Amino acid sequence: MLFIIEDTINGIIMGSIYGLAALGLTIIFGVLKVINFAHGSMLMVAMYTAYWAVILTGLHPYLTLLIVVPVMFVFGYLLQDILIKPIFKAEKDVREPITVIIVTTGVWYILDNLALLVFGPQYRNIQDNPLRGKMIEIGDMLISVPKLWGFCAAIVTTALIYLFLQKTRMGRAVRATSLDRDAASLQGINQYKVYNITVGIGTAVAGVAGVALVPFYNVFPSVGVLFDIKCFIIVVLGGLGSIWGALLGGMIVGVIESVGPQFMAATWTEAVVYALFLLFLFFKPSGLFGVKYDW
Amino acid sequence: MNPRLYRKLPLVLAAVGAFALPLVLRSPTYLHILILLYLYAYLTTSWNLVGGFAGVLPLGHAAFIGIGAYTSTVLSLQYGISPWAGMLVGALLSAVVGVIIGLPTFKMRGAYFALATIAFAEGIRVMVENIDYLGPLQLNGPRGLQIPPLKTGFLNFMFAEKEPYYYIILLMLTGALVLTWFVSRSKLGYYLVAGGEEPEAAQALGVNVARAKLIAMAMSSFLTAFAGTFWAQFTLYIHPKSVMSLDISFEIAFIALIGGRGSIAGPVLGALLLRPVSDFSRIYFGSTLPGLHLVIFGVVLILVMLYQPRGLQEPLTRIYNRVMDRICGGREAAA
Repeated sequence: MLFIIEDTINGIIMGSIYGLAALGLTIIFGVLKVINFAHGSMLMVAMYTAYWAVILTGLHPYLTLLIVVPVMFVFGYLLQDILIKPIFKAEKDVREPITVIIVTTGVWYILDNLALLVFGPQYRNIQDNPLRGKMIEIGDMLISVPKLWGFCAAIVTTALIYLFLQKTRMGRAVRATSLDRDAASLQGINQYKVYNITVGIGTAVAGVAGVALVPFYNVFPSVGVLFDIKCFIIVVLGGLGSIWGALLGGMIVGVIESVGPQFMAATWTEAVVYALFLLFLFFKPSGLFGVKYDW
Repeated sequence: MNPRLYRKLPLVLAAVGAFALPLVLRSPTYLHILILLYLYAYLTTSWNLVGGFAGVLPLGHAAFIGIGAYTSTVLSLQYGISPWAGMLVGALLSAVVGVIIGLPTFKMRGAYFALATIAFAEGIRVMVENIDYLGPLQLNGPRGLQIPPLKTGFLNFMFAEKEPYYYIILLMLTGALVLTWFVSRSKLGYYLVAGGEEPEAAQALGVNVARAKLIAMAMSSFLTAFAGTFWAQFTLYIHPKSVMSLDISFEIAFIALIGGRGSIAGPVLGALLLRPVSDFSRIYFGSTLPGLHLVIFGVVLILVMLYQPRGLQEPLTRIYNRVMDRICGGREAAA
């Protein structure tokens, strides 16, 4: 019985980090109504940035947040301003421009393969870092310390994003735009500025997830792909656009992945996750917490 | 001369040239590259039936390639059935799966449809990777199936030279293009375009949009499975990552989008433009600059989407027509 509890706890902890990785995706979807297929690649960029920051400057892995978050914010801001904005301007009357999916897929391919060109295919990890392989014992259970910090980061980041959206003036503008972009524009909100900032924040959150992952996860050019599809699944489970839904969806996936192998071959858990995803898509596309939109 | 005639003539000549090419071109390397080019043009043409005309974005067509490849290979390895018969069985099976996938997913919009097709294709791949024996059928999980190159000959769909493969895939491509031409001029084609652009308006006019999309999906998955059998017989080794990977699904969609979705020439044009980039960059830069061709794909894709969202087929057709008018129309004016 104990091992199931231990697996569940480990699943929740790892799942919250998945949720943190997916949080940026759901923020961007909530406002722009488009799925950013390059989200996993953003995570990859964040992980490489954090990795090189540690290697080159010798910072503590978590202090790289000070570098990674601003870099990723600017990256997302520019991406939206240069690539996605022209599409929105060209397809004003389309609610969910499919072209954005295609363009962000292009960004995904460019970033992943540029990383392959520049850094090579090898798996990298930070060898001499104070957190590597560190465990704490609670009763008879072992819990990885860097994952526990990742769990804390996920909760804190989600709460901060929630407070930003609820309490600040900018957050209110973001929420207004997400409800109805034309009505928001009529109230004097600069729709494109809100979009730029939203994508910037979503990408910066992917940066936080990258920093949380770097102390215990390998960095390699296609690491984003592993998270990409997982993130899509998580945000649909939790409800596209729902902030707390992303965290819960991540935990569900995490628990399936860590408890599942007790009952079946570990590789089958992936199929279970896909099946759950499809069931949600068919029967409850708005997810657990999603707002019921007009589809 | 009539513009319709002289605009068509070079295309006919190019098609004849394609059939005559192996008489001149003897290098197996170039034939191999051309076979892959036609294979991708064929796959993209099949994709185009649903992804182009119906205005949705399916990103899981590799599943149908896998179903075609596995069905014919299992049948020929274990029961000695000719791959040609297996090809047909696989295509029928694939069409059924296509309809099963289409039934719930065509109700979804934009991004949801794309995600659902990805999940279906990946789910099928994960299942094949985890199944060694499906009842009496041996699938060999992640290790895949090898076809022993013993009995060459037409009935066994196995040849020592590249030329027979070249002609088979060229004929398949021609067939798919002719079918697309018929569909684009049929009631079904108009239903699909109408349903893709304005589903509500089309429904209000009495078009059964869902049914039209399902028929297109069935045809598309049927044709795609053929390519799977061809692939298996051409490479003689299949495993889930080779025939069902997400990369193939994406590459098909890329070629269609860059060439021009929803047009007959688009997929062929896209394959003509992109396949050489990928093959030659792999030949010349494969060891020094890995992944270069995918960076190029990405850049081209973004530029095309931003500046020519209907694909390169449109501006290129315009230029082509103008050039042909200048060459042939000038003579007419002089006469």
